Amino acid sequence: MAYVVTDSCHGCRYTECVTVCPVECFHLDEQMTYIDPENCIDCGGCAPICPVGAIHPSWQMPAGKAEWVEINRLRAAETPVIAAKIPPLPGADEQARRLAS
Amino acid sequence: MAREVVIGACPHDCPDTCSILTTVEDGKAIAVRGNPDHPFTKGRLCVKVNDYQNRVYSDQRVLYPMKRVGPKGSGQFARIGWDEALDTIAGRWKAIIAESGPRAILPYSYLGTQGIINGLNVGDPLFNKLGATVCERTFCDSGSCTAYMMTIGHTPGVDPESFVHSKYIILWACNTLSTNSHHWPFIEQAKRNGAKLVVIDPVRTRTARLADWHIPIRPGTDGALALAMMHIIIKEGLTDRDYIDRHTIGFDELAERCEAYTPEFASAETGIPVEDILKLAREYATTPPAVVRIGVAVERHAGGGQTVRAIACLPALIGAWTHVGGGLLQLPIWAFPVNWAGLMRPDLQSESMRVINSWKLGPALTGEMPLDPPIRALFVYNANPMAMVSQQQTIERGLAREDLFTVVSEHFLTDTARYADIVLPATTQLEQADIMFSWGHLYLSYNNPAIAPLGEAVPNTELFRRLAKAMDIDDPFFFRSDDTMIAESMDWSSPVLAGITLDELKQKGYMRLTMDAADSWAPHRDGNFPTASGKCEFKSSLAAGGNFVVPLFRQGYGGDQSGEPVDPLPHYLPPNESLRTAPALAERFPLSLISPKSHAFLNSNYGNLPAQVAQAGEQQAVLLHPEDAGPRGIVAGTPIRVFNERGAFEAFATLSADVMRGVVVAPAGFWQRSNQRGPTVHALTPTAFADLGHAPTFSDMLVDVAAA
Repeated sequence: MAYVVTDSCHGCRYTECVTVCPVECFHLDEQMTYIDPENCIDCGGCAPICPVGAIHPSWQMPAGKAEWVEINRLRAAETPVIAAKIPPLPGADEQARRLAS
Repeated sequence: MAREVVIGACPHDCPDTCSILTTVEDGKAIAVRGNPDHPFTKGRLCVKVNDYQNRVYSDQRVLYPMKRVGPKGSGQFARIGWDEALDTIAGRWKAIIAESGPRAILPYSYLGTQGIINGLNVGDPLFNKLGATVCERTFCDSGSCTAYMMTIGHTPGVDPESFVHSKYIILWACNTLSTNSHHWPFIEQAKRNGAKLVVIDPVRTRTARLADWHIPIRPGTDGALALAMMHIIIKEGLTDRDYIDRHTIGFDELAERCEAYTPEFASAETGIPVEDILKLAREYATTPPAVVRIGVAVERHAGGGQTVRAIACLPALIGAWTHVGGGLLQLPIWAFPVNWAGLMRPDLQSESMRVINSWKLGPALTGEMPLDPPIRALFVYNANPMAMVSQQQTIERGLAREDLFTVVSEHFLTDTARYADIVLPATTQLEQADIMFSWGHLYLSYNNPAIAPLGEAVPNTELFRRLAKAMDIDDPFFFRSDDTMIAESMDWSSPVLAGITLDELKQKGYMRLTMDAADSWAPHRDGNFPTASGKCEFKSSLAAGGNFVVPLFRQGYGGDQSGEPVDPLPHYLPPNESLRTAPALAERFPLSLISPKSHAFLNSNYGNLPAQVAQAGEQQAVLLHPEDAGPRGIVAGTPIRVFNERGAFEAFATLSADVMRGVVVAPAGFWQRSNQRGPTVHALTPTAFADLGHAPTFSDMLVDVAAA
């Protein structure tokens, strides 16, 4: 059980999430972040702070997003930890507006 | 649309007491989140509380008074009005008092709500005034409190925020990431500053996985390790002689006592290699500032009290208290100037009250414990003993007694409430006001109500106002408003409240006690221990009075203490049930079972709610070492039966080498009438008290496991 980053992060990557995570369980590639389910303590601090609502608990995944549980597990194992916030990807604000509408 | 954000505080019996922001739209709470401004809880909640609004609006909520209309335990109830409920309760109580005396009434409660005015002591004045039996509530930390008081007194100890300055951190029987998670960032900062983190735990918990060094230890043997650490520190001259001379008493006797506790002795008891014990003692003594954070689990075995005695001696021995970030952290609650006497009102008691311990509920109800008069009325609030207390089958038989009049005030129809004659609806934290201490940080909190009470639910304060009126009490003390109760709950003249006003507290939601900042807080740099001698008492003067439970856990009552002789020096008491101490029993039941807190539940809170039950894996899981499972034909994910002479429960097997061989782990919290559908782990737990403070011993038991 863990929280899970879904494809809404893809192309945004605001990384607000890493500022609140107490256990450094966020990993990063060029497109988005991933949560390491081995380290996540289910505190949920990241979910409300994500500007695009990309993060959900694995036991309450929205319809059509279940595959991201396994994608987070796999990608977290292959990618480095991100411990501090970095600038969002270009076009993030447009994507956030698109997702909010 | 009216939208507002209300500042509150988490009501749960957890050290973190988080600051919570509740978003309210048109009178309905739509979301909760952590308050990012709180310096300790920093914008996060936890898996239990993240969707607290779903607890509030759960379709399982009890929202109206109800009376039983079916057999006891059937869960068949009919809605009634408050007037009928109160008339029924007062009528029965008055008749029972007239026939049998007030001692035939037993109140039963703990910290289902931890707020100061709605929590531990809210019912004490009424039951003290009636002269009912005193419920000695030693659920948690009572053994530690007695041991602490005997050794270093009721000190808040190290500020948890000072841990960033620590260089050697021992988390002893504490799974921080599951049960104290807001402390973790301070520990992690210390690690970034170069601290070494050691975790002592039979299980490689999620906390132990992130430690620099995890030391697995056999359950119930922690005292041997602490005493051997002292043996090594004294023998190798790693002590702080100046600190010992000025701020402790009994060093020579302690040194003599520790001679027998060699590393070899401790290794045989704990299962920890001798070289690791030597290394731990040497590193601890020579890496200042060194700090120990103990968890509640450390007291839950036969020698739990003396274990805490020994651990509480360690910091003074090496002068750890002279450093910011050095010493011991257990219960910062003692920093809060709570007006305990005003909350409990022991002055209303008669000279001789009858005391029954909360862990003895089963035999007290069935009559297996001889009582004159017997218990004829039970009043339960803030507690779910059917899910969480030993001798589950005995409690069930007791609650099923036709002649027992049981009232339960609750959020839900718990395993206990199902046996009630009258069920009363209690408000959740979003529906009530309260002021909160913390036993994990130094911030006083205020919980502003976010929404109006649902249905006819009432806060415990209002519940006891109504009961007092129904019982014809006319003392205005019993009819104080919540605002007055909050104002009178603290000693506002205390220096730690200097500059804190209730108005500002309500507005901000939390304020740090007026103490030295975490960067300079070293409460015992110059001794000043709140003990009789003012020193750290290696040899305890309080031992002369025998065993006792601190009056806070006894409605303020100081009489009728058990008073068994207590050795004034720390010593080792092995577990009651282990391969070494009970070999005949161990032939039949060769595995040690421990029942820690569940990651997703707060005791039995949330054991009925979908999000947390899903997080917990839907069903009770029991963790086994593969080498214990294999010979029993147990496969991961399959149903098993866990049993001993006292009882049995069913679970699903999880296999991992994260647990020591010979140990099984069954997190508590599932309900019998929720997903568990049968007895829980407390059907197996022992009834013996630990050595001090009547702590339970439910991490001190042998079981066996079989495929179901």
